[in-house]
Amino acid sequence: MIQVKVKCFSQVKYVLGKDEMSLTLEPGTTSAELEELVRNQAQGKLDEVTLRIAVNQKYIPKEIELKNGDEVAFIPPVQGG
Amino acid sequence: MIKIEIVKGPITPFPSDDSRTQDGAELVFNGRVRATEHGENITVLEYEQYEGMAETELRNLAENTVKRFPVHDLFCKHRVGKVKVGETSLHVVIWSKHRQEGIDAMSWFIVELKKRIPIWKWATLKDGSRIPSECAH
Repeated sequence: MIQVKVKCFSQVKYVLGKDEMSLTLEPGTTSAELEELVRNQAQGKLDEVTLRIAVNQKYIPKEIELKNGDEVAFIPPVQGG
Repeated sequence: MIKIEIVKGPITPFPSDDSRTQDGAELVFNGRVRATEHGENITVLEYEQYEGMAETELRNLAENTVKRFPVHDLFCKHRVGKVKVGETSLHVVIWSKHRQEGIDAMSWFIVELKKRIPIWKWATLKDGSRIPSECAH
């Protein structure tokens, strides 16, 4: 099994009610599979929210296999400025 | 040269610079907190950042901006935490030889900042509740 840390911001934090989660996953779990798991936890409340994924503080352009110790953030539309 | 700062208190503007004899344009942009968000009156906006990644992405964006446009320097401060209505949340200064490239660089930098930098707004409503500012509640 692998452990990953999920960071929650903005709508993700609001819907899930937490800043971060530590999750234990099957080896070989991908970023897209983790996104599905997070969306399922949100029970539909993130269905309309586009999420970009950052792994270890870098946007990833496509689905990747997660590794033990990864920090994963699901980034809702940003609002700086 | 670029300078990037993410600050937790009020923004002190970068000083105007009379020693820049090769820069014909000094552009200053201050983004301020409006009193309404999506039609709701607010008292304060709270900026949340993805600590570490926000500063890295902002620095990358500034570097890309000075590569993409013929400008000399770009300095930027972005505030996080609670910002009262009327206060500055974003301060950018760009120096360039001519005005047009500075204006183009400023516009592109701010447009891209709003697409990519992991910073979000939370609004505090008059009743004291706190919501993500794009939230439909």
